Amino acid sequence: MLKIENLVAEYGAIRALDGVSFTAAEGKITTVIGANGAGKSTLLRTISGLERAKSGQMIWADKSLIGKAPESIVRSGIAHVPEGHAVISQLTVAENIEMGSLFRRRHFRSDVKLAIEEVYELFPRLAERSKQLAGTLSGGERQMLAISRALVSRPKLLLLDEPSLGLAPLVVEQIIQTVNDLCRKSGLTVLLVEQNANTALAVADYGVLLSLGKVVANLPAAELKADASLRAAYLGY
Amino acid sequence: MFKHFQKGNAIKSLIFFALIFYFGKVFDPYNQGQLSVVLIYFIGILSITLLTGLSGQISLGQGALMAVGGYTCALVVLNLGLSYWQSIIISAVVSLIAGWLLGITAARLSGPYLAGTTLVIALAIPSLATRFESVFGGDVGLSVDFGNPPEWLSGAIGEIGYEQWQLFAILPFATIALFLALNIFKSRTGRSWRAVRDHEIAASLTGINVQRVKIFTFVVASGFAGLAGAMYGLRGIVGPSVYPVSLSLALLTGAILGGLRSIAGAFFGAALVVFLPDLIDKITGGWELAPQVGDYLPAMVSGILLILTVVLNPAGIAGALHHHKPRHK
Amino acid sequence: MEQFLSAVFAGTASGSIYALVALGLVLVWRGAGVINFAQMGQAMFSTYVASTMIINGYSYWIAFFVALAVGTALGTAVDLLVMRPLSGKRSSAMLASPAMRGTVPVIASLGILGILQAAAGMIWAAEERGFPAPVNTLGLTIGGTVMPFTAFDLFVIGIVLVTLIITTIFFQKTGMGLAMRASALNPEVARLSGIRTSSVRTLSWAISGAASSLAGLLVTPNTNLSPNTLDLILIIGFTATVIGGLDSLPGGVLGGFILGLVISFVNVYSSPSDIFLAILALLLIVLLVRPQGILGSKEARRV
Repeated sequence: MLKIENLVAEYGAIRALDGVSFTAAEGKITTVIGANGAGKSTLLRTISGLERAKSGQMIWADKSLIGKAPESIVRSGIAHVPEGHAVISQLTVAENIEMGSLFRRRHFRSDVKLAIEEVYELFPRLAERSKQLAGTLSGGERQMLAISRALVSRPKLLLLDEPSLGLAPLVVEQIIQTVNDLCRKSGLTVLLVEQNANTALAVADYGVLLSLGKVVANLPAAELKADASLRAAYLGY
Repeated sequence: MFKHFQKGNAIKSLIFFALIFYFGKVFDPYNQGQLSVVLIYFIGILSITLLTGLSGQISLGQGALMAVGGYTCALVVLNLGLSYWQSIIISAVVSLIAGWLLGITAARLSGPYLAGTTLVIALAIPSLATRFESVFGGDVGLSVDFGNPPEWLSGAIGEIGYEQWQLFAILPFATIALFLALNIFKSRTGRSWRAVRDHEIAASLTGINVQRVKIFTFVVASGFAGLAGAMYGLRGIVGPSVYPVSLSLALLTGAILGGLRSIAGAFFGAALVVFLPDLIDKITGGWELAPQVGDYLPAMVSGILLILTVVLNPAGIAGALHHHKPRHK
Repeated sequence: MEQFLSAVFAGTASGSIYALVALGLVLVWRGAGVINFAQMGQAMFSTYVASTMIINGYSYWIAFFVALAVGTALGTAVDLLVMRPLSGKRSSAMLASPAMRGTVPVIASLGILGILQAAAGMIWAAEERGFPAPVNTLGLTIGGTVMPFTAFDLFVIGIVLVTLIITTIFFQKTGMGLAMRASALNPEVARLSGIRTSSVRTLSWAISGAASSLAGLLVTPNTNLSPNTLDLILIIGFTATVIGGLDSLPGGVLGGFILGLVISFVNVYSSPSDIFLAILALLLIVLLVRPQGILGSKEARRV
């Protein structure tokens, strides 16, 4: 379980997170929705250690994440797939995947092999293109690669930032379904940030609605989806 | 006609003139000579203060621009027979042109590229002297000097020694350089340089032509360097050994130690670089060091000071002194 | 013809040394975003250590490996003692602007160069001394004809080729090499993948230190050794990296060989005093015509 309490983060002079509190339940999908600039990406970046929290607390597996570096946080079982299909385009597909498992190689060599086989099974198109440079992939394939890179670190919590950004609806559907399956079958906890609220709420168990760095609603996904007034006020439809 | 800050700057410059003049009267000949070098380094370091401190471009080749000034001055004196002060002004103008040429190349570069390229230039320019030996006098160089003090001056202040005359000949130029630098710092031009240094894209959005500013900075800085180089040569000889790469590095060291973003810092830096060997000599005089240790001690100390300054006190001596005053950014 | 061939061989041999210097520069540039002007100062220092050992009766090869170890240690020390504290100060006013972020480490590296040269001057005095080659440096004679190359030329080319092959295998085939490439290309994604980028950065400095100390050992039999002799080699190496592309390892190596040949031809057909001018001309042409270098990528240039 990830527990966020009164988290404050600043981005230059702007207070991007202004006292955010919520929990991401184990084995469930929690989605964070909100308009552009609500602080969704900053939230994930703060959890994974890329940004420094100004104040507040983040507890994961009974330990605080405050002040830890990203490379330590990933070792504690939190994998972050940042916005924009973050892969290294000058490396091959296989190298991008291998990169995510490097830190586990010494102690879990056989499991690393297994993890890599698993992601290739999950996304067969990546297996076909394993020798290609990541830069030559389509947007959807890049997103799959970014998720694969995260999965081979064997995370217990997956932070997904706008996986649907710039992708065709059909591809989005496939990626979201894959994440949903992972969560249901292997008990992965997912924190999914989305601007496309409908897509996210369709699979999520809980929904957190952010606006200008504050939590304005924290409800089961179905209830959030049904609340027409919240949608109208914060999501504009 | 004068803007209000220019009056203040004129007063500061005159105080500077008076103080140095006073030291020139009381110092012994050796230290008069050292003070001349301080003034020349001061002008040379001002060129780095403007270029690197104000506009964020680095140059490891200011010594080469000093060489341009020095050789121009020597050639003008020897071939056209003009007086030293006419030659100095011509040298500064020629250096402006050299700076313009350099600036056109340099404006396309930044950071380490610029550092490396200017370093190569610093090495290559002196080798022109041996390449065209008949013009530039090869490794030996060309000998020039400030001549004798005019009679009206010795009539006014009494007998003037050789070193003292050098100092008094350099002082007016140093004062003018100081006045110009002070004005650039406070003017709109200076603000646009700072804007380019701090945020190129934002600067271009406010209508500043970034490329033109960068070139112009190089032109102005080269003028200062050329002025310094001309007077450096007039101390006796213009040759490759007068303008080595180590001169460029000494100027940069002085600029950093004194405080890269301050005009007072340029002077502190110049004084430190020039007097450091004497100071170390004085301190270690009784220690009976091996000669090779003594020889290299100043270089060692300034290397250590350079790193300590960059890591611990990037604003240099001037920054440390002005710590609690509101400072110009 | 014979003159031409000997220029080619000498150029290839010295070019391979410049390639090593360029390799060291590119490694640190990609790994840490710094052009290390102290690099050949480090090499000078480690070569002096080797020279002192040889004078005191140790064999060439023991001294050789000790020098490589000293070079590695110096590279590591520069990162841990100077560059890491410096990069921790990214927020200070001096380093706030991107223009100064590239400039300040350059200044720090010049300080390190000054310290190393002064230290060498204090310990070993300033007069030039020779440095031995492990094999003959006179023209090789095969079947009575004098060849246009020396045994030492072959030795240099061979040892550099082996080094380049090992380096390539390290970067392409090992996990650590992958971690280094990933950290250089995209530090954020690398950190999110669990790569300790600051350790990787130190490793870049260490390997670069080893490569440049090797260059120092190979170049000094021809140039002699004094606190300042290797400054020129640094300038040549820097020009080589700019020609080849500052962010490309193969580019730096290619640039090294090009420069080796150009300098060798200037030396044979013109005069040694034109070398600086030739370097400057080459540098300016590349910067004006193809500023990212032959193999460099465009976006990497404006840093």
